[in-house]
Amino acid sequence: MKKLLAVLMALLMVAAMTTAMAEGVTLKVAGWDITTTPYYTAIKEGYEAANPGVTIEWVDLASQDYNIKASTMLSGGDTTDLYCVKELSDMQNWAKEGLIVPMNEMIAADGYAMDKYAGMEACYVALTDGQQYALPFRADYWVMYYNKDLFDKAGVAYPTNDWTWDEYAAIAREVAEKTGAYGTHYHTWLSAVANWAVCDGVNTLADGKYEDLKYFYELYQGLEDDGVCMSFDELKASGLHYSGAFAQGNIAMMPMGYWYVSTLIGYIKDGTASMNWGITAVPHLDGVAAGSSFGSPTGIAISKHSANQAEAWKFAAWMCSEEGAKAIAATGTRPAYVSEAVASVMAAAEGFPTDEVSNAALLPTAISLEWPIGEGVNEIKTIVNEEHSLIMTREATIEEGIAAMEERAAEFIK
Amino acid sequence: MANSQAAGRRKMTALEKRNTLIAYSFLAPNFIGFVVFTLIPVVFSIVLSLMDWSGGQNITFVGLDNFRYIFKDFSFTKSNLGIALKNTVFYTLMTVPLTLLCSLGLALVLNKAVKGANFFRAVFFFPYVASLVAICVCWNFLLMKTGPINQILNALGFTMKKSWTSSRDLAIWAIIIVSVWRNAGYYMVMYLAGLQGVPGELYEAATIDGANAWQRFTNVTMPMLTPTTFFNSIMMVISCFKIYDVVAIMTQGGPGRSTKMLVTYIFELSFGGEGIATSAQYGVASAVSMVLLVIVLLVTIVQFRGEKKWVNYM
Repeated sequence: MKKLLAVLMALLMVAAMTTAMAEGVTLKVAGWDITTTPYYTAIKEGYEAANPGVTIEWVDLASQDYNIKASTMLSGGDTTDLYCVKELSDMQNWAKEGLIVPMNEMIAADGYAMDKYAGMEACYVALTDGQQYALPFRADYWVMYYNKDLFDKAGVAYPTNDWTWDEYAAIAREVAEKTGAYGTHYHTWLSAVANWAVCDGVNTLADGKYEDLKYFYELYQGLEDDGVCMSFDELKASGLHYSGAFAQGNIAMMPMGYWYVSTLIGYIKDGTASMNWGITAVPHLDGVAAGSSFGSPTGIAISKHSANQAEAWKFAAWMCSEEGAKAIAATGTRPAYVSEAVASVMAAAEGFPTDEVSNAALLPTAISLEWPIGEGVNEIKTIVNEEHSLIMTREATIEEGIAAMEERAAEFIK
Repeated sequence: MANSQAAGRRKMTALEKRNTLIAYSFLAPNFIGFVVFTLIPVVFSIVLSLMDWSGGQNITFVGLDNFRYIFKDFSFTKSNLGIALKNTVFYTLMTVPLTLLCSLGLALVLNKAVKGANFFRAVFFFPYVASLVAICVCWNFLLMKTGPINQILNALGFTMKKSWTSSRDLAIWAIIIVSVWRNAGYYMVMYLAGLQGVPGELYEAATIDGANAWQRFTNVTMPMLTPTTFFNSIMMVISCFKIYDVVAIMTQGGPGRSTKMLVTYIFELSFGGEGIATSAQYGVASAVSMVLLVIVLLVTIVQFRGEKKWVNYM
C-alpha cells in the first residue's frame, strides 16, 4: 500500500513538473494596489499576448507597507523576480545592498533606447556605482486642471499651454470675481505650492537655497488673502481632499499630478462630478520654457534572487517600451515613455477632454524631478516640509521660513 | 520520614507533573503572545538602538552612534529630540493635573444622589469608548478658524484669527484639551470607585466635630482618595509620555515641529509620514525609544518613592 502511494506521489510530481515546463516561464512581479489599479492587468495581458509561454503573476503588497515589505522580501531571498520601485531612496538602498541587478549590460546588449523617458531614467542610476538599476514605466507630471463651465460663466478665455504664473494669477482673480467661485485651488502639499521652482531644470529642492520659492509663496499668499483660493488653515483643519474639492465644481483651476485624470474621469462617469474640464501645461516663469513641469517616476527592478533574470529583463524592457507604454496609457495612466503615439493613446482614453490644448498638454517640454536623489535629501525633504507648514499657516513669514529652511538644510548639504 | 519528604519535594509525582503542565498550558496562550509580540520586540529594540539597520539584510553594530546622532547639537528649540522632549513634557505637565481635576470634580458631583447620575456617568465615560478618529475630527472642526469655539472666544473679546491646529502656540493646547476631555471620564470611574470605599462613619465623625463641607473634603475625602490619585497619576503620566494617536490625527506634529512628540518622532524615524522622508532608520528610532523608556522609568521610580510620603492606605 505504502509503495503504491509512493509511486503515485512520484508520478504526480513528474506530471506537475512536465505541465509546469509546458506552461513555460512564470515571472512573479511585486507591486501595490494590484486589484484596484487597472494598468497592472493591461501590462500582464499585453505582455502575455506578445510572448506566448510566459505568465506574469502580480504579487500584491499593501500600498502603505510596500517599501518595508519589498525590502524584507528582497533581503529574505524571496523568489519574486521583479519589484516595482515606489520610492527612489529604497531603490538606492537595494542597489547599495546588492539586492537588485544592474541593467547596463542588458541595455547595451539589446541596444535598448534610454532616451525616451524625458530624463526620468536618470534617477535610477545608483549613487554608489553609477549603474542603471531600474527602468521607469510610469511618470506622473503636474498639469493644470480647469473647469470649463466656470470659465464660460465668467466669459474668460480658456488658459493655453504657454501661459506664465503672473497670467495665471490674473486669470484666477478674474474668474473668481466674475463667478463668485474659487479662482484656483492649492492642495496642502509643498509640491502644489512651491515645487514649481524646480521646473527650470536647474534649481532643486535639495540644493540648500530656497530664495527661488519666495515668488511662489508670495503668489499663493496674495491669492489666499484675496479669497481667490481656500485657505491652507481651513484645508488642513477640515482635511478636505483635493479630489473632492475640484469635483464640487466651484473651483476654476487646480494644479495637480496627472494621476488625477483617471480619478476625474471616474467621477464624471459615476456622477460624483458633472462638469466640462480640460488640462493645460502648468504656467511657467519668464526665462523657463513653456510646458515645463515636474514629476516623479515609478520604476521596475530585477531581483538578485530571480531564477529567470534574462526573462525578467525582457519583461522589464517591454513594460517600459512604447508597447508597454501604450498598454499603460490606455488605462488613463501616464507612462514614462513619451512619444506622439503614446500621447494619442492617452488622448483617446474614454472621458479625456477632446480639445487641442488638453491634447497638447500631454507632451510636456521638460520634466524635472520633484526631488533629486542624493545623500541627505531625505533629511532636507523633511525639513523643507516642516518649514513649509509654518509659512503656509503664517506662523513664520516667507523670509523667516526660507531662512530656516536654509539654516537647517545646511547641515545636510555635502 | 523527613528524608522521604525532602526527596518528594525534589521529585514531582506524576500527578503533580501533570497538574503543573496543565497549569502551564493554561498560561501558555497568553504568555506566548506576550513573548512574541512584546518581550522579543522590546529586547530587539534595545539591541537595535546600538545598530544601524534600514530593514535590509545589512545590520551593523555602531555602538553609541545612534545616541550621538540624536543628541547632536541638543537644544530645546533646534534639535528634533529636544523639541520632541520639550513638547512631550509640556503636554504631560498640563494634561495630568487637568485630567485629575476634571475627573475628580465629575466624580464628586456624580457620587451624590443626583437625579440621572447613572445617565451622566455614561455620558462622561462615552468619549473614552468612542472612536478616537471621530473624536479628533470633530474637535478639529470645533477648533477651526471659523469654528464655534473661536466664534465664542471672538464674541468674548479675544481675537482668534486661526484654527487652533494651525497655530504654533495653540496646536499643543488643542491636543491637551482633546486628551483631557477624552480621558476624564475614565479616571472619573476610578475616582467613583474610590469614593464608594470611603466609610460613611468618617464623614459622620467629622460632621459631629463641626467640620464644614470643605473641611470634610480636604480632611476626609482627599486623604482617603490618595491611593486612587496615585494610581491615576501613574497611569496618566505613562500614557501621556506615549501620546501619539491624537497628534497623528489632529496635527501630524505640525505646524512646523510645534506638536512633535517623542513617539511621533520615533514613528517618523521608522515609518515616515506625509512630507517626512527620514524613514527606515530603525536604529535611531530605537535609540529615541530608549530615551523614552529611561524617562518613563525615572518618573515612575520618583512617583513610587513619593508614594510613602503622601499616599494613605487605611
